[in-house]
Amino acid sequence: MKALFLGNVAADTAEGIRAELPPGLEVEIFVDPQDLLRSPQAAADADILVSNHWHAEYPPMPQVKLVQSVATGIELFDLAALPPGVRICNAFGHETAIAEYIVMVWLALHHRLFEISGEFREHASWRTSWVESGAPHGEVRGSTLGIVGYGRVGQEVARRAAPFGVRILAANRSPREPEVGVEQVFPLAELDRMLPLCDTVALCTALGPETTGLIDARRLALMKPTAFLVNIARGAVIDEDAVYAALREGRIGGAALDVWWQYPDAAEPRRRGSRHPFHELPNVIVTPHNSGWTQGMVRRRWDEIADNIGRCVRGESLINIVTTI
Amino acid sequence: MKVLFLGRFAGGHAPRVLARLATTPETEILADETDTARLAPALAGADIVVGLTWRADFPPAPRLKLLQCIATGVDRMDLAAVPRGVAVCNTLGHETPIAEYVMMTMLNLTHGLFHSVLSFRAGSWEASLQGGGARHGELLGQTVGIVGYGGIGREVARRAAPFGVRLLAANRSPVGDAVPVERVYPLADLDRMLPECDVVVIACALAPETQGLIDARRIRLMKPGAFLINIARGQIVDEEALYAALRDGRLGGAAIDVWWRYPTPSEPQPRPSRFAFHELPNVLMTPHSSSFTEGTAERRFGDIATNIDRCVRGEGPINVVTIV
Repeated sequence: MKALFLGNVAADTAEGIRAELPPGLEVEIFVDPQDLLRSPQAAADADILVSNHWHAEYPPMPQVKLVQSVATGIELFDLAALPPGVRICNAFGHETAIAEYIVMVWLALHHRLFEISGEFREHASWRTSWVESGAPHGEVRGSTLGIVGYGRVGQEVARRAAPFGVRILAANRSPREPEVGVEQVFPLAELDRMLPLCDTVALCTALGPETTGLIDARRLALMKPTAFLVNIARGAVIDEDAVYAALREGRIGGAALDVWWQYPDAAEPRRRGSRHPFHELPNVIVTPHNSGWTQGMVRRRWDEIADNIGRCVRGESLINIVTTI
Repeated sequence: MKVLFLGRFAGGHAPRVLARLATTPETEILADETDTARLAPALAGADIVVGLTWRADFPPAPRLKLLQCIATGVDRMDLAAVPRGVAVCNTLGHETPIAEYVMMTMLNLTHGLFHSVLSFRAGSWEASLQGGGARHGELLGQTVGIVGYGGIGREVARRAAPFGVRLLAANRSPVGDAVPVERVYPLADLDRMLPECDVVVIACALAPETQGLIDARRIRLMKPGAFLINIARGQIVDEEALYAALRDGRLGGAAIDVWWRYPTPSEPQPRPSRFAFHELPNVLMTPHSSSFTEGTAERRFGDIATNIDRCVRGEGPINVVTIV
């Protein structure tokens, strides 16, 4: 059997899991996917593909049984260009890191950490200090946290947020029982009832037809004027123009954005994440889609990928199946 | 019955305390306690003093019954110089925001949030997968050591537990119910705990046993790359040794809310240390603000007003630290 690792992330994965792969498995690595166009034989006899994408112009893979994504999303795979019967599997391991990120920025927004530490570092300003009788900052205790998308990430957030003494609400496409600490899970169709109750809204949904543009101008107006918005899902879940205007004009309290509406490419490696200058707004914490990008996440993800490759080689049932072509 | 709000800190907050009073004592605000011409008559007539400091050279306060500290720590009060029989009381209500602050900074330090934000604001994707950047850390699997397992330490432990961390603590006196902490060391065995920890949280009171506790030798016992969080008092940590360890990268970083230098009337905006912590990228620094939330203000000013009311009515005070 042969596994083909395509692209730089897959190539890193191959190095990371080499010792865990079944003996006898042939491994072929194409760091630059363009090289595959000149080596059709490498695709022709591959049984397993490990990659973050697949394009229709690539040479055919008639033998392939497992297409293992190195990421959770499979939107970069052209599924129509893969042979019938192949199983498409994804990988997780990011829930912990992203849940930690959400709790971190949730606290930082309420405590005004960036404003307070920035003033203190740059100007030795004690204005926000207890000893100076200045304006106090917030705390999360007693506030309401709304989690949109009560899946793997959303549940991990709720478990970590519960001991902070907060009210936790959630909204989810499919019905789901709330775990301990979560007061209610609204159907996603009733999101409009949940939003006005929340001091923080954390977006943890997958991107799909129901969630594209979910947080639009109308729903932003339903939020409290002091509320914070956290997005670790996908940029397209929020209306870019509407959220920029709401943040600039102070119609919501602030935001932490880790996912964006546009990304850099080879031609424009420093391309901003939005056509609007979110990075200039003092009430916005901006990060470059790295909330899940931890050492621990990569190790957990590699372990899942190595496990699945082993299962495929031994003819056992696979884990993390997204779909079968 | 007269209440004196003494010093800049108490003077500034006096209106918020007075707004919560049920009784109507006479009140006086003296924000500058170095104004000796006004201090002597003010103290001579005060039944209650609300303040942060009490110095040995203060003029007599023969009527004083209640010395109400406007903070938790009474370490700025020279208790030996307080008239005999006076009840010295403090205020609490800060455990919640400080525990939140500790969790926030622990996550910030492990995730390298400030580095991500600053480089991304400047237009770089270097801290991301797309940018081919280095992965950052996470809290899961780390060992967190809490020095001082009191009210704040317990609140930190309760919040940290679901993050999947290993929790250790060190405390002066033996601790009964330590859950969720795996092990509580006697403070005398701190040297055995420090090398285990990825994050050390200083949450003990300032006292003779804790003054200079985290000195150069103990900082060397910490893991290379470990993080230090101090929300207790600056003097618990050796200023120069901590600065050197952070500058040289022997420690991974620190979150510091309590300092060695504070504003005075003559110097209202001092740097908080004689060393340039503000130039170190691995230091998260705040101006003794971790506890300063609306919630704490509500709880504290309410408690202080309660104590004034109780004293006016001749009832015993709450939150007594000691009767001198």
